Amino acid sequence: MVKKIPIGPFHPILEEPEFFELHVDGERVVDIDMTIGWSHRGIELLSESKTWDQVPFLVERVCGICSASHPFAYVKAVEDLLQVEVPKRAQYIRVITAELERLHSHLLWTGLAGHFLGYNTVFMWCWKYREPLLDILEAVTGNRNHYAMYRIGGVRRDIPFEEYGNIRKLLDFLWTKNDMLTNAILDDPVIHARTKGVGIFDTKQCRLYGALGPTARAGGYDIDARRDHPIDAYGELDFKVIVCQNGDVFDKAVVRQLENFEAIKIIRQCLDRLEEMGPMKDESELLLEIGEVPPGEGIGVYEAPRGEVLHYVRSNGKNMPMRHKVRAPSFNNILTNEASVPGNSIADAGLITAAVDPCYSCTERVGRVDARTGERYVLTEGDLIRLSQEKTEQIRRQLGAE
Amino acid sequence: MERETVKKKLAERFGDKVRIAERSPKRVYVYADNDIWVDLASFVFNDLDARFDTGVGIDDRDGVEVMFFFPFDREKYYLTIKTFARKPKPELDSISPVIPGAKWIEREIYEMFEVNFRGHPDLRPVLRSDTRPADFYPHRREVKTGLESSRVKLDGQDRADEVAGRPPKGQNP
Repeated sequence: MVKKIPIGPFHPILEEPEFFELHVDGERVVDIDMTIGWSHRGIELLSESKTWDQVPFLVERVCGICSASHPFAYVKAVEDLLQVEVPKRAQYIRVITAELERLHSHLLWTGLAGHFLGYNTVFMWCWKYREPLLDILEAVTGNRNHYAMYRIGGVRRDIPFEEYGNIRKLLDFLWTKNDMLTNAILDDPVIHARTKGVGIFDTKQCRLYGALGPTARAGGYDIDARRDHPIDAYGELDFKVIVCQNGDVFDKAVVRQLENFEAIKIIRQCLDRLEEMGPMKDESELLLEIGEVPPGEGIGVYEAPRGEVLHYVRSNGKNMPMRHKVRAPSFNNILTNEASVPGNSIADAGLITAAVDPCYSCTERVGRVDARTGERYVLTEGDLIRLSQEKTEQIRRQLGAE
Repeated sequence: MERETVKKKLAERFGDKVRIAERSPKRVYVYADNDIWVDLASFVFNDLDARFDTGVGIDDRDGVEVMFFFPFDREKYYLTIKTFARKPKPELDSISPVIPGAKWIEREIYEMFEVNFRGHPDLRPVLRSDTRPADFYPHRREVKTGLESSRVKLDGQDRADEVAGRPPKGQNP
């Protein structure tokens, strides 16, 4: 007998509202229906009433975590329209801010995934290590989030020369801690048993569904906008694109953990180059003077922590965009649940929907409806986490692990 | 696939039904008629092996311009295919049966611009709340103009009066 289980529209683990209706036969999910748009804010329309220079402030509020990726893609879209290249120092500063953001986003996901699996120590560790990272971002940009660094033609401020040492120290610290976390994940038999083979999404499906970022790379679909459509300094930096083959939750976690090492490498390279350049001499090293924006169109893409962000702008020669399209990676990635969730159990469904790291949100309840009788079971969100943690516990006992 | 090869193959397959324009080394635009729209998208995705990215709608006086992005990642450029769905009833064939990843973006373009994608498996609005009026398409020009005028009306002194609870200018208390 098929029953329907609604999850959402608010979910306490991650950040953005989504509603999933699971059609279940016993414990097994046979189909899923998804609804998004619960906090649709009309940012595209709003952006068309802001001047070119005001829009970065707006788009960095598309998402609290991706507050470097969205303005980065937007300024690249406008620079694509203008066909200009920004000064080298500005390019490195842009890359450093964006990669620091990637580190804190991946740490956040690992922590939440740990919590969901019943590894609350991982959750606490990640939060602890993320804190000095946010402090550095505050020292560099003035804010823990919403950095306001990006501007058409460059950046708004320099990274103070005396902060370089602090950033390097932080990177060394994060390298050791990330190493520890990665080994903890790779060596734990319970995590293997709990996440391997769960929510498999293979290369062919990734291509059909337009999956992006770690979701695609975990499934062997080798795409990364930083390498494929290099913007600013990325073309000259040395980094690897992490690709796994199985497409399950385990591989998605591994991709994120290993990407942290690459992000640290990228930031170190940028710091090296900035140190070679020495302290800033004048403002022209940060900002290219931009006059009018002529009629035309531009595309800006950047690999955000969750996948490729795309901004499209069209100008009609006025001081505001005539059309500004924002495509966040979760828009493509959430749709992949349609293919990856069916066939798995309810305890895994929450994990799989969270494994794409959707901006998917927070607060309360899971209801359960019997499709035939209309009988309604309301479970709390805590119950969903409990289900997932119980399953981990069960596996742990079976494996005889502590 | 290299740009020159792609351009050649598109010209061979569709002849003068498509117009190809290059704006920069990283951007290629292909303009197509409505009737070959799905064939073109399917050819680019399946035969030329491009990745599907997303779509955009832009409202114009006579219709809605719809474009889809197909990046060629190895060769580092974006191919954009464009068509124009004419008003008063903008309609296009859906590419979702060929590319399932286009389902949501087509639903969004339908919801924002009222472009009816024929053959879409499930053409419901994707973002709007249940309480929004069914015939409200927020990105349409007429709706935007309406919003503009209401903003202008509520600007400046009128707005200040309204906030302060004073009667508008020229009216006795």
